[in-house]
Amino acid sequence: MHAMAPQQTGEARPAVRIRARNLGKRYGALEVFRGIDLDVGDREILSIVGPSGCGKTTLLRCIDGLLATDAGEVLINGEKVTQPIAGVAMVFQHFGLFPWKTVYGNVAYGLKMAGASKAEIAERVPYFIALVGLKGFENAYPYQMSGGMQQRCGLARALAIEPSVLLMDEPFAAVDAQTREILQFELLRIWEQRPTTMLFVTHSIEEAVLMGDRVIVLKGRPASIAETIPVDLPRPRTRETLRAARFAELREQVWSTLLSEARAAEFQLEPAR
Amino acid sequence: MRFSLAAAEGARRHGPFWLSLVAGMALWEIAGRNADAAFLVPLSATLSRLAELAASGVLWQQFASSAALFLSGFALALAVGMPLGLLLARVRTLRVGLEPYIMILYATPMVALIPFILSLMGFGFAPKVLVVFLFAVFPVLYNTIEGARSIRPELIEVARAFRSSERALWFDVMIPYTLPFTMTGVRQGIGRALVGMVAAEFFLSATGLGQLIMVAGQNFDTGGVFAAILVIGLIGVGLMRVGLMLEQHFARWRH
Repeated sequence: MHAMAPQQTGEARPAVRIRARNLGKRYGALEVFRGIDLDVGDREILSIVGPSGCGKTTLLRCIDGLLATDAGEVLINGEKVTQPIAGVAMVFQHFGLFPWKTVYGNVAYGLKMAGASKAEIAERVPYFIALVGLKGFENAYPYQMSGGMQQRCGLARALAIEPSVLLMDEPFAAVDAQTREILQFELLRIWEQRPTTMLFVTHSIEEAVLMGDRVIVLKGRPASIAETIPVDLPRPRTRETLRAARFAELREQVWSTLLSEARAAEFQLEPAR
Repeated sequence: MRFSLAAAEGARRHGPFWLSLVAGMALWEIAGRNADAAFLVPLSATLSRLAELAASGVLWQQFASSAALFLSGFALALAVGMPLGLLLARVRTLRVGLEPYIMILYATPMVALIPFILSLMGFGFAPKVLVVFLFAVFPVLYNTIEGARSIRPELIEVARAFRSSERALWFDVMIPYTLPFTMTGVRQGIGRALVGMVAAEFFLSATGLGQLIMVAGQNFDTGGVFAAILVIGLIGVGLMRVGLMLEQHFARWRH
């Protein structure tokens, strides 16, 4: 049963889970971002918002250790990141499910890679499948499922390793608008049940405000942090939150920071090759 | 009512198949009765000759000999083709270096190599296995390479994000993804291996069903020739079905 309890209860928890200092990344002549500093506290949700192509997904991959940075360093739980480290899980925009594995097999994958025993896998996988609302679909293959169901599966796969840090790479960008809204509140419900440090990358301003304890706005080429906006909306956040006057104010605040940038991005030509 | 509807539906779908089969058999029978027995014998005579060969034990003995050759050559083709294909898909230098040879050998009619294999290795079992292997290995190899190379890079990234070892990357990602492609190669290879088997039995030391055809031909035993051809044809159809079932089984996760 211990596996079901929220992690780290009763232990001393570090105040900072993710620390990035002076991060920079370039692809040849193209500088993607520079001078990124950020700290994410324990059980904090930090949203990163920016226009398409601003480098937020690249930043997330650098923080996970999937991509090497050209400057600065990332520490997660005090460990310097040079490649993906234990206790960190990512949820992908493209879901990243293995099409030859069933829901059960996909959710079990992360545990298997982490070296969990068969008994542990058999104990935990059904719990996480139920947590994301996929009970009864254990034997379904990804091609049989809607985008929403596939991302529930992707979320269960990430949660199953009981990560101390969750990295969300525009997780709901590839599903339709209604499903997206349903999944946002599902994620908030699950987070209330199992609060985890989360870095939430999105291009949706509403989503960034709804999810985050703080919102970081990325802008410029190369991208840097234009503004950090604390979100003082109470939790648990529900559909009520969307109607709050404060929610509208915060959304406008993020929007006004992004506006000039979004205009520039719309009319930006790709650099000549 | 429902039963007769189902029967009608069955007749509509399978009717042409059985009708055509019966017509073909009737045509063979009629043509055989009106032709010189040195060229063609009717189906009934072929079947009674087949029964004789089966009763005398010759058919089973030759069938077992051919089966041993086919299975050895094909198993070797699979054992080499699949791992080599995965390796070539993953190691670019090797792939680019070996590509011209693979393409030349895949395009060459293997029968042309038989005299060379004969002078190199003689008349034993091994050279015949080599012939079957050469006929079958290239479809397996080629489809495995193409399959393994088509894997989406996102899935490799997911594996890295979950801290997969190189070994786990092969066993949990590369191989399961590639298997349906390899099985397409297996299905194609089965037909070619059967050709290789008969060619080896004809042109190297005469054994198995190939020998059965040759001996019957030399003795002007037309019924025996057709009996052996019929058996080989039926084996071919059966193996193709097995190949298709394998392919579908391993591809059940694809839509």
